[in-house]
Amino acid sequence: MNKRLTVAALALTLLTAACGGDDKAKTPAPSVQATTPTTAAPVRGGTLVVAISSDPGSLNPAVTSNGGVHTASEMMFNGLVGWGADGKLAPELADSWVIEGGGTTYTFKLHPGVKWHDGQDFTSDDVKFTFEKALLKLHSRTAASVGSAGVTITTPDPRTVVFTFPQPYAPLLQQLNVTEAPIISKHQFESCTDLATVASCPANKAPIGTGPFKLDSYSITEIKMSRNANYFKPGLPYLDGLVERVIPDTGTQVLALENKEVDWLGSVPGPDLARVKANPALATAAAPRGSGGGNCITTVIFNMKPPAGRPAFFADLRTRQAVWAATNRQQAFQQIEFNQGKVADAPIHSGISFAHASGLALPTFDVAKAKTLLDQAGWKDEGKATRIARGVQGVPDGTEFAIDYHGFVGAQTTYGEVLRTQLKDVGIAVTVKTEDNPTFSAAVFTRREFDTGVASYCNGDDPEIGVRRQYDTKQISTTAFSNGAGYSNPEVDTLLDQAAREPDPAKRTPIYRKLQEIAVRDLPYMWMTESAGVRAFTANCTGFNHENTGLFAEAASCKR
Amino acid sequence: MSTLASATADAAAGAGPVAAPHRWRAALHRFVRHPAGMVGLALTTLVVVAGALAGRVTASDPFRTAGDPLLAPSRAHWMGTDNLGRDMLTSVMHGAKTSMVVVLGVTLLASVIGLAVGVVAGYRGGWVDDLLMRITELFQAVPRFFLVLLIVALFGAGLDNLIYVLAFTSWPTLARVARAEVLSVRDRDYVEAARSIGASDRRIVLRHVLPNVLPTALVVIALTGSRIILLEASLSFLGLGDPTVMSWGYLVSNAQRFLRVAWWMSVFPGLAIALAVLGINLMSDALNDVLAAYSKAPRSARWRRRRSRPASLPAQLPVR
Amino acid sequence: MNRRYLVRRLLQVLPAVASILIVTFAIVHAAPGDPVVAVAGESGNQEYYAFMRAKFGLDRPLPQQFVTYSANVLTGDLGTSFAQGERVSTLIAERVPATLLLMGSALALSTVGGIVLGALAARRPFGPFDLAVSTAALVGYALPVFWMAQLAMLTIAFRTGWFPVQGMTDARANWTGLHHLLDVGRHLALPALVLAASEVALITRMARTGILAEMDRGYVTVAQAKGLSATGALVHHALRNALLPVVTVVGTRIGFLFSGAVLVETVFGWPGLGRLVLSAAQTRDHPVLLGMVLLVAFSLVLANLVTDLIYARVDPRIRYR
Repeated sequence: MNKRLTVAALALTLLTAACGGDDKAKTPAPSVQATTPTTAAPVRGGTLVVAISSDPGSLNPAVTSNGGVHTASEMMFNGLVGWGADGKLAPELADSWVIEGGGTTYTFKLHPGVKWHDGQDFTSDDVKFTFEKALLKLHSRTAASVGSAGVTITTPDPRTVVFTFPQPYAPLLQQLNVTEAPIISKHQFESCTDLATVASCPANKAPIGTGPFKLDSYSITEIKMSRNANYFKPGLPYLDGLVERVIPDTGTQVLALENKEVDWLGSVPGPDLARVKANPALATAAAPRGSGGGNCITTVIFNMKPPAGRPAFFADLRTRQAVWAATNRQQAFQQIEFNQGKVADAPIHSGISFAHASGLALPTFDVAKAKTLLDQAGWKDEGKATRIARGVQGVPDGTEFAIDYHGFVGAQTTYGEVLRTQLKDVGIAVTVKTEDNPTFSAAVFTRREFDTGVASYCNGDDPEIGVRRQYDTKQISTTAFSNGAGYSNPEVDTLLDQAAREPDPAKRTPIYRKLQEIAVRDLPYMWMTESAGVRAFTANCTGFNHENTGLFAEAASCKR
Repeated sequence: MSTLASATADAAAGAGPVAAPHRWRAALHRFVRHPAGMVGLALTTLVVVAGALAGRVTASDPFRTAGDPLLAPSRAHWMGTDNLGRDMLTSVMHGAKTSMVVVLGVTLLASVIGLAVGVVAGYRGGWVDDLLMRITELFQAVPRFFLVLLIVALFGAGLDNLIYVLAFTSWPTLARVARAEVLSVRDRDYVEAARSIGASDRRIVLRHVLPNVLPTALVVIALTGSRIILLEASLSFLGLGDPTVMSWGYLVSNAQRFLRVAWWMSVFPGLAIALAVLGINLMSDALNDVLAAYSKAPRSARWRRRRSRPASLPAQLPVR
Repeated sequence: MNRRYLVRRLLQVLPAVASILIVTFAIVHAAPGDPVVAVAGESGNQEYYAFMRAKFGLDRPLPQQFVTYSANVLTGDLGTSFAQGERVSTLIAERVPATLLLMGSALALSTVGGIVLGALAARRPFGPFDLAVSTAALVGYALPVFWMAQLAMLTIAFRTGWFPVQGMTDARANWTGLHHLLDVGRHLALPALVLAASEVALITRMARTGILAEMDRGYVTVAQAKGLSATGALVHHALRNALLPVVTVVGTRIGFLFSGAVLVETVFGWPGLGRLVLSAAQTRDHPVLLGMVLLVAFSLVLANLVTDLIYARVDPRIRYR
C-alpha cells in the first residue's frame, strides 16, 4: 500500500513536472484553457481591478487565516504546491516531491532560480522559517492540522525541504497552496519580535514575496501591485498591474462591476446574480475555494464550556437539540443566500466527497418538539416572552433564556437576525452582536465570553485541514477559529487521529462517517449552509484560475 | 453662538405679554385656517395613525417573514417585501410607532428639563443664572450627532436609553429660548404687581411667567421633535438604533445592499421619514405664525418677521 | 480689528476647550462598567486594558485622571483601535483629507447656490419663484441626507451611468495634474451635490431674509431714488451686508457638514471618515468614536474662531459681543 502511494505520487510528480516545465514556455497557460477557453493568444499589459471588502490592515498571509488579509495579499506569494485549473495538484515553488514511509516523510525539490521581489534568492531556509515561525503557530488551519501532527522540517540543501511526521500524515499536499501555506521570506521577517502584529512587525504591511505581482503601494482605499518581471513562471503574468479597491458594501461592488469601475468580484450576492449573468459584458464562474479556504460551512457555535460565572446555556444536549428544532435552516438559507449553495446535511462539507456522510439524521425543524425539549431541559414557559430556568443543568434558577450571538458584519449578522426571529417563537431571546475579527476572536476563542457565535468554518480539501480543529479536544484553545464549542469527546479524538494516520482515502471514509454520526448525536454546532460563491468578472478578461484562488490572476489577460 | 442669539431675540420679540385662554382659542382658530399648518397637521396625523395602527392592522412582529424575499409592491404587499421576506408596509408602520415613541419621550423629557432650567435661570438671575447657562453652554460645545453616537455606543442602544440620550442632548436650545422669554417678562408691570401683593415665586412663575414662555417654547419643542426624528433615523442608519424594534433608519440602511434590485426597500421608509419631518416642520411654522400674531411688537417688525424664514428653518442649525 | 478684541476672542477658546474635555471625560466615566472599556474598546484584551489603564491613569483619583485625560487628548493620543490594530489618530488622519474635500465642496456649492437662489427669491417676495424656492427648501430640509444620497443613486447614477458609484479616483488610471483633478471631480460630483442640497435650503432662507431686511433700509431706498435699478441696488449695496450673517454661520455649519458627510460617504463609498465611523459604530469601537467627537468639537471651535476673526476684519463695527 505504502509503495503504491509513493509510486502514484511520483507519477503525478513526473506528469505535472513535465507540464510545468517546457510546455509552459510554448503554450503559456495550459491550465487556463480548461476553464475559460481562449482562442486568441493572451494579451500582455493592462490593469485588473479587483474589489475587496475591507482594508485588510496587514498583507502577510502566513501569520493569519483571516480571509481579508489572504484575499488582499496572496497574489504576491506562492505555496509549495498549488492547484491547476483542472482541480488537480500542480507544482509551484516545489517542482517535485517524493513521499516515503507510508506518508511520514515528504521530500520536496524546490524550483531553481526563484527570486524574491527584492532580488534575493529563495531557498529552503525560507520554507523552514515560514513554517516554524509563522504557519505552524499563527495560521489557524495549518497550525491545527500540520502543526498538531508534530511535523519537523529539515533542509539538507538550499533546494530541498523535508517534512517528517511521527506517524503517517495523509493530507499534507493539499495544505501547501498559497492559501494554506504561503511562503514568506526569512530575511525580511526574521528580525520581527512578534510576527502576528503590524505594530511589532511593520514588514507585514509591505511584504515581499515570490508571487506574480509585487506591492507598489498600500493605502486604506486601495492596494496597488505591478507585474513581477522576474516571476519564475516564464512569460507570466500577462497583466502589468493589479489594483485591489476597497468597497465594503457588496451591493456597491456589483454596481461598480456593472459600471466597469472594477473587473473582478470574488463573490456575487444572490439577488444580483441573475442580473449579472444576463449582462453580456460580464462572465461568471463557480468558486470552489475562497480566501478562507475551500468547502466552507456557515456554522453556529454553541458555547458548551463557558468560563466560570457565565451560565452554561448549552451544556445540556436537549437545549442544543431544541435550538436545532426551532431553527428553520431552509428558510434562513433561502433568505440569506438566495439559494446559492445548499443547506448543510452533514458536519463535513459535501465537497470532500470521500469524507462527507450522507443520510445523517439531523434534527428537523419542529417548533412543537423544540418547546417540549426546552420544557424537559428545565426551561419553563412562565407566560413571559423568554423562558426561565427551573433546574437547568449548569444554569442558576430564575435565569432568563436570553443569549448573545457574535458574528461579523454582513451575512453573518443577517443569520443572527433570522435566528433571533425564529428563536423568539420558542421563548429564547437573542441579542446579535456585530463584531470585527479581533473583537470576535477575543470574545469567542480567547475569553469564551459568548453563548452562541457564528463562523464560516472552511473544511478545506481534507477534513484534517478544517474539520479537526472544530472537534478535537486539543483544539479547545485561544487560536481563532479552533474548537469554539469547547466540544470534547474522547471517541471523536481517537477517530480523528485514526483518520489522519490512514493514508488510504477509502479506509478513511468509514472513520469519518462514524465521527459525523457522533457529532450529529452530540450537536456541538449547528451546521447551517454550505456556501457557494460565484465569481463575476469583465467578459473581456480571460485566463483566470478558479481553483488556485489566491493566484487566480497569475495567467489572466484582458483585451482592451 | 451668534445664530442662537438671533433666534432667541426673534423668539423673545414674538412672545405676547399675557396669554389668556381665549387667546389660545383664537390661535387655534387661526391655525385651522392656516393652509400649511393644516397640511402639516394632516401629515403628522397620518404618521401618528400609522404608528398607532402598527400591530393592530398589521402583523404584531415586523421582523417575521411574510412572503418571499424582495417582492415588488403588489396588492398582497403594498410596499413590497425586504431581503428577509418581511412586509415593508408592516415595517414602515412599526417604524412610525418607534419614531413616535422616541419623539414623544424625548420632547417630553427635554421640555421639562429645558423649561425648568430656562425659567429658573431667567427668573432667578444672578449666580444661578450664570451656573445654569454655563452648564447649558457645556452641552452645546460638543457636536450633538457625534456625542450621541458615542453615548449610545457606550450605554447601549435600547429604546429607553436612546430616549434618555437624545433628551439629555436636546434640552439646551429650549432652555436658552425659555430663559430669554422669561427675561423679557420678568420685570413687566403685571409681574411686579403680582410680586407687590405678595404672590409666591411659584405662583408668579406658574401663573404669569410660564404662560408667556409657552407659545415660543411650543414652536421650539415642535422643531426639536422633527430633529429627533432625523437624529434617531441617522443613528439607526449607522446601526446604533435599538435592534429589537423596527426603525426607519434601519430600513433605509438595510436597503443599501439591494438598491439596484429593490428600490422599494429604500423609497418607502425614506419617504416616511421625510413626511414625518415635513409635517412637524409645517406645523411649527404655522404655530409660529399663529402665536406670533399676538405679539406687541410694532407692525413693521412683525411684517418683516413674517417675510423672514419660517420657523422650521431656524437659525439654530439642524442635526442630521 | 483691534488688538483687544483679538485677545478676548482668543481667550474665549479656553472655556470651549474645557467644556469639550469635561463633557467627554464625564461621559467616559458615567458609562456603565469599567471606564477602561470606554477608552480601549470591547476587545477584552487584558494586556491592552492594563496598558490603557496606566496610560489614562484610571486607578488614580478623578482630578488626576482628568489631567491625564486632558493631556492625552490635547496631544492627540487616544491609544489604539483594537479592531483596526492602528492608532486612532492615524486612522482618523488618514481619512480626514477625503472628508474635508467633500465638506469643502459642499460648503462652497451650498453657499454660492443658496445666495444665488436667495437673491433671486428676494427680488419678488411671495412671487412664484420665491414660493417655489421656499417650498423646495421646506421639502429638502425634511429629507434625511442619507436617503437623499440613495435617491441620487437610484435616479441619477443608475439611470445615466455618468457617475461612478464608489471611490474617489479611477482605480485603473494613474493620472496626474489636470486629469487627476477631473477624475476626482467626477467621483466627487454626486456626493458633494447631495451634501450641498441638504444645506442649501438654510442658506437660501438666510440670504433671502438678509437681503429683504437690507432692502428696507434707507441707503438702498436712496440708491434706488437716485435711479439705480432694483438689481443694481441689490448687488451693489444690499448683498454685501446681507451676506455677512451667511458667512458667520459657516463655523457652526462645520458640525453639520461633518455628520452629513459621514452619512453621505457610507452611501457613496467615498473613502473618508464615514466608513470608519460606520464600522466603529457597528462594532462599538469606542476609541474611534471618542476620537471623532473630539475631532469635530475642536474643528468647530477653530472654525468659529476663524470666522469671527474674519468677520471682525470685514466689518469694523464688530468689537466684542
